Amino acid sequence: MSVLALLGHLWRRHRLALVWLAAASWFFQWAITRVVPAAAQTGFVRQLFDMAPPPVRVMFGEELVANLSARGFLGFGYVHPFPLLILAVWAVRVSVGALAGEVGRGTMDLVASRPVSRPAQVAAAAWALLAGLALIAAAGWVGTAFGLRSRPLEGVAAADLVPVAAMSLLLFASWGAVALFVSATRRDAGAAISWCAGLLAGSYVLDYLARVWTAIAFLRPLSLFRYYEPQRVLREGIAVGDVLVLSCVGAAALAAAFAVFARRDL
Amino acid sequence: MTTESLGKRFGAVRALEDLSLRIEQGEVFGFLGPNGAGKTTTIRLLLGLLAPSAGGATVLGRPVTLGGAAWRGELGYLPGEVAFWPQLSGKRTLDYLARLSRRPPLDRAALLDRLGLGAETLSRHVHTYSDGMRQKLGIVQALQCRPRLALLDEPTKGLDPLVQQEFYGIVSDARDRGTTLFVSSHVLVEVERLCDRVAMLRKGRLVFAGDVEEVRRAQRRRVVAVFSGDVESQALGHFGEIVEASARGITMLVAQKDLPALVARLGMLPLADLVVEPPSLEEAFLERYR
Repeated sequence: MSVLALLGHLWRRHRLALVWLAAASWFFQWAITRVVPAAAQTGFVRQLFDMAPPPVRVMFGEELVANLSARGFLGFGYVHPFPLLILAVWAVRVSVGALAGEVGRGTMDLVASRPVSRPAQVAAAAWALLAGLALIAAAGWVGTAFGLRSRPLEGVAAADLVPVAAMSLLLFASWGAVALFVSATRRDAGAAISWCAGLLAGSYVLDYLARVWTAIAFLRPLSLFRYYEPQRVLREGIAVGDVLVLSCVGAAALAAAFAVFARRDL
Repeated sequence: MTTESLGKRFGAVRALEDLSLRIEQGEVFGFLGPNGAGKTTTIRLLLGLLAPSAGGATVLGRPVTLGGAAWRGELGYLPGEVAFWPQLSGKRTLDYLARLSRRPPLDRAALLDRLGLGAETLSRHVHTYSDGMRQKLGIVQALQCRPRLALLDEPTKGLDPLVQQEFYGIVSDARDRGTTLFVSSHVLVEVERLCDRVAMLRKGRLVFAGDVEEVRRAQRRRVVAVFSGDVESQALGHFGEIVEASARGITMLVAQKDLPALVARLGMLPLADLVVEPPSLEEAFLERYR
């Protein structure tokens, strides 16, 4: 009962942002299908990429460079910083707003003085987080599907991108759980957002540097972005190990959020 | 509602120490103290928003724990610094909070009417409200579901005098319906007017708890005498404490039991005017905090 009331409240607070984020995700993936080079153009593009320095090639994705194809380009659409940013904005916005944001604003007193359990508050935030991420990831995939319908590309079907969209959802569900944990420990939204942004940016940069700088390649498993490789998913399918790591990190962070929030002073 | 040796520390700071109180059902209990005395900390401990460092409390007969239990539906709470969701309208705010309370808002319409919050105001986003309107909305959300126990932290803050009068009526009516009210304030006139009993806190410690009348009785009266001729007023010093004295007048603080003797003595002097001020809670408060 109270989880439903809290969910309704979260929906009212975040619905406009969710609509914009989902629309942006849809548009970006649709636009990627417009700029994917046709089979005849890939030779030229391959030469262009061969001239690029290794760090740039890594940033665009191994599969894209190694095996230029429409599939590679579409996979690039799912690893581009823009769709990642869209998902990160939702993960941090909802997680931080539901706990640290309410505490910092003073509205937590009104909720917590009523018969609403603290686990219910964390659970409502987690459901809102997942539902929004699912919608944004689905909107992105629908953008790809729409684009491929109006511009069919040889050797790729919209269904091929479903596992990629699912992995993006799983990656940011894990990040959302981490953000919920941070939010459960903080007293105001500003501090929680700073922590989350720092962790996300640090993890992203670590993954990138560990790919281009062999001296620190051993650190790459410490980044959650290591377990999200759309072009490898397109090539080899979903890796069970990646799913396990992301799921375990998400579950552990969520359990920690429940435990910390249930015991803390508000 | 009871507290047993309740205490709270924030690091090295002792916000509350060894607080033992008992508040009976249906009474209006005033909780007095200067800023930083521990009033808000006490209320937050009673609500289970904070975990006590020592002791414990029961509310509505149940032990207070962190988190939400069903009996919280029988509570009403007005925070000292009331805050709402700026993008929600007043009506949505009240609906949401009533839904979380799991009780019907039986008294909402009457409260809105008495506090002058109309339909147009309620349809607006809360961020457009003045401080006074926010405080009114805070009072309505605390009392709309007819709670058995209401904890009101500085309830008249930001209200104009007319609305304050209306609020006193609301408290009186709530008490008549059997609601227990715990009112934290540093507005002494208000507590004196509203409350049956009071407790006074100072630096996290209980200074006094008892009936308002008892406080008044224990308090010395201020006696102002004006004489039509010169008098050796210092000679009256053994009746009480002289605040100010001259040949033509004297101001004293006198215990109730010494008043008859003083009045009899003054009657033997060339008395032009005599004022015996009723004792106020404010004087008791100031005397205890000096």
